[in-house]
Amino acid sequence: MTSKYDLETIELPAKWKASTLFTLGLILVFIGAVLGIFMKGQGSGESAEFKHLIHSYLANFMFIMTIALGALFFILIQFVSRAGWSTSIRRIAELLMWTIPFLAVLFVPILVAVWSGRSVPYEWNAPEQVHSSVVKAKIDIGYLTKEWFTIRSVLYFGLWTAMAWFFYGHSRKQDESGDVEHSLARQKWAGPCIMIFALSVSFAAFDWVMSIDADWYSTIFGVYVFAAGMMAFFATMILISMALQNAGKVRAFISVEHFHDMGKFMFGFIMFWSYIAFSQLLLYWYGNIPEETYWFAVRLKDGWQYLAYALIPLHFAIPFLGTISRHVRRHRLGLTFWAAWAIVVHWLDMTFLVMPNAGPANFIALVGHFIGGAGMFAIFLSLFLVRAAKAPLVPMKDPRLPEALTYANPLL
Amino acid sequence: MSHNDHNSKATKEPRPPKACGWMAEFENEHDLLHAAEKVRDAGYTKTDAFTPFPVHGIDHALGIKPTILPFIVLCAGLTGLCTALLMQWWMNGVDYKYIISGKPFGITPASIPVSFELTILFSAFTSVLGMLALNGLPKFSNPVFTNPKFDRATDDRFFLYVDSTDKYYNRESVRELLSSVHPSSLDEVLEDASPSELPRGILLGSLLLVLAGLIPAAIVLNMRASFSDLPRWHVFFDMDFQPKKKPQQTTTIFKDGRSMRPQVPGTVSRGQLTNEDPFYLGYDPMKVSSVDGPRQIYVSATDTVLETLQPPAGGDGGTALNLPWLEKLPVEANEANIKLGKTKYETYCSACHGYAGFGDGLVAKRAASLAQDTWTTPTSLHADRVQKQPVGQIFHTISKGQGKMASYASSLTPQERWSIVLYVRALQRSRNAKIEDVPVEQRSGLTDAQAPKTDGQ
Ligand code: HEC
Repeated sequence: MTSKYDLETIELPAKWKASTLFTLGLILVFIGAVLGIFMKGQGSGESAEFKHLIHSYLANFMFIMTIALGALFFILIQFVSRAGWSTSIRRIAELLMWTIPFLAVLFVPILVAVWSGRSVPYEWNAPEQVHSSVVKAKIDIGYLTKEWFTIRSVLYFGLWTAMAWFFYGHSRKQDESGDVEHSLARQKWAGPCIMIFALSVSFAAFDWVMSIDADWYSTIFGVYVFAAGMMAFFATMILISMALQNAGKVRAFISVEHFHDMGKFMFGFIMFWSYIAFSQLLLYWYGNIPEETYWFAVRLKDGWQYLAYALIPLHFAIPFLGTISRHVRRHRLGLTFWAAWAIVVHWLDMTFLVMPNAGPANFIALVGHFIGGAGMFAIFLSLFLVRAAKAPLVPMKDPRLPEALTYANPLL
Repeated sequence: MSHNDHNSKATKEPRPPKACGWMAEFENEHDLLHAAEKVRDAGYTKTDAFTPFPVHGIDHALGIKPTILPFIVLCAGLTGLCTALLMQWWMNGVDYKYIISGKPFGITPASIPVSFELTILFSAFTSVLGMLALNGLPKFSNPVFTNPKFDRATDDRFFLYVDSTDKYYNRESVRELLSSVHPSSLDEVLEDASPSELPRGILLGSLLLVLAGLIPAAIVLNMRASFSDLPRWHVFFDMDFQPKKKPQQTTTIFKDGRSMRPQVPGTVSRGQLTNEDPFYLGYDPMKVSSVDGPRQIYVSATDTVLETLQPPAGGDGGTALNLPWLEKLPVEANEANIKLGKTKYETYCSACHGYAGFGDGLVAKRAASLAQDTWTTPTSLHADRVQKQPVGQIFHTISKGQGKMASYASSLTPQERWSIVLYVRALQRSRNAKIEDVPVEQRSGLTDAQAPKTDGQ
């Protein structure tokens, strides 16, 4: 019995090297960028290549950023609901969440583009080129200016880092002392933090993604990005847990019940994403006002229409039917497959949000964009490994751990 | 025979209640789980467990197979989905095509919410009713209740029941098996001896209720099928007859008997000041008397009065309004205004008048193809009459509408309307340009022979 909960099983596998993965990620990002440069760009003003590259970077950044934010939200929810079942998987989410300070560094290239006065990815950054009175107004009241944009971005990262630090810090301190006070403190602050989280994520989505096309606005946009990120987060959790178990770790701590539940969450957020995406579409479709529908119009031409229509089956219908059955969610291979699927479609989704604004779809550039996305994901995982190297993979002294270890889903 | 009959009647004692199975009682859920596993391993399937709270793993311990309910619900959900789609396709695509802000007929994105709702509705009803049906509910009595100990199943005791209809059931062996797991008590469950018929009172009562429920329906049917001379029945009298005045009604409160009050002399109402500003009117109200004396009195009151004036008989529709129109644009002809005018023209006017102003917009084309006689073709903005109109009159057309064309004042500010007029002028000029309008550098190569071609582009 002692060997089952062996402390060795809650360490990272020795072969998992953050540096290797990080280098791999960098190489992939580099290859992706090179392919992007070799695309045949058309367009005026900013060079089409740069326009593509910075949009591609932003899309891939959002791709991993939303996953980390999903982790933060998951942690908040665990404490606001005083959940016991998730205790044994919670550390993995905590480590994912604790990559946020690193991700702030990855946001710097965007800020550099803004401060060097580029009109891409944010057209509002070159006010003299802006013709739309709506965008002009947003610039004139001082909302869409590089100063305020930077201040807000720093604020978002500050808030998220503070929350992540608080929740991660208490978790680690509990590893030492096992004091229940650490759980109580987190329970107390989880509620207010959720409100801060909701507002900051929504505004970050507005600022970073929606303002690419500052003429257009959708109040549900933040929720859309959030829903997408949550789905991808659960998929990432599933993949990491599976990989750890395949390497012989945390087998006694994460049971089929936990996978079943993560699968349920992933299924739920596939549905929620579809619900939000459709709600957004329906209102604009019905209103049919040129200044509101053109955002979709841009995404329904120049090759992007294939992506837009493909999202309906790929991001909704197929994975929905695929993960609807509990048998699939309790099946290791089945769940792994759909988790990997979810991550890829999340990448497609972020591409759909950002890339059409960079011009017509270009096959070579998109291949580069995809390789870059894979690279960013590898970098993200390497950041996770950096964090995980310093902490056990299970909060061994959490008072709720026994509850998680004996947890079982009722049989339907 | 008679003797026998008599005998059986006299000795008719309640026959001993039939045994329905064994019920074992346990102190905690662990013992129950253990016992359930044993019973399952012995091959019994007609078993059940009763616990005060949901016990994880009990289904497995009892060997209960996963229910097929989810599949039934899935089928019901799909049926709901198809029903909704078929219904909407039929109603809006075939049976009753109704134009709703120009949306396509049949199945559209707007059909999704209804399809979603029906899917949920069918699924929800099926899961509740299916759950009841699969459990054989509602059941008015169950033999397990005959044992008074069983009451504690909702409190602090755990019960395991083996039914006598099980195909391996044998009274003695089941008793032995259950006592081998050390229950705190083991009782034979006896048939419920209480009468199984519904009590008369309940039967009668529900019958009466059903009949009473038919009364409102009967009244409604009767009213629909008959006539009556009586005045309408007012349920909320003070809502139907409120102590207030509506426009055009008379009153005894004021001497002149009007409930609508005229403007108090010497006051100005909100928005009225603009009535004297040519910028908002398109003509100069101060000069109206010079054109049309009798009209002056009206114009000095309010602009809206103009709408009520009939154009003089015999005049042609377009120029009938003889007013001192502004001849000069009150906005500057700069690039910003032209751009504004272009955006607004393309948003609000091009649908009918076409992007170039020939009256061939999409709406006009579609209306022409439908060939209904209620449609008036939008005037070409290059028609002689419009070309000759002063800018003020075009402004007035946009602000107040003209003939079949509606007013666009509510969607466009005066500034935007003037910018549109500017843009219309630019359009007109572009279609009738003379060589002098072209900058000198670009004139070379534009010979007379080519002129008509460039015109058409
Ligand atoms: C719904 C279709 C429609 C739209 C939109 C529309 N018009 Fe018209 N317009 C008409 C029709 C129809 C007429 C002819 C009216 C008649 O003679 O009964 C007309 C006539 C006119 C005339 C000629 C009036 C005259 O004196 O005979 C002008 C000028 C004009 N429109 C300008 C505009 C401008 C500017 C806009 C944009 C603000 C606009 N229209 C938008 C349908 C439209």
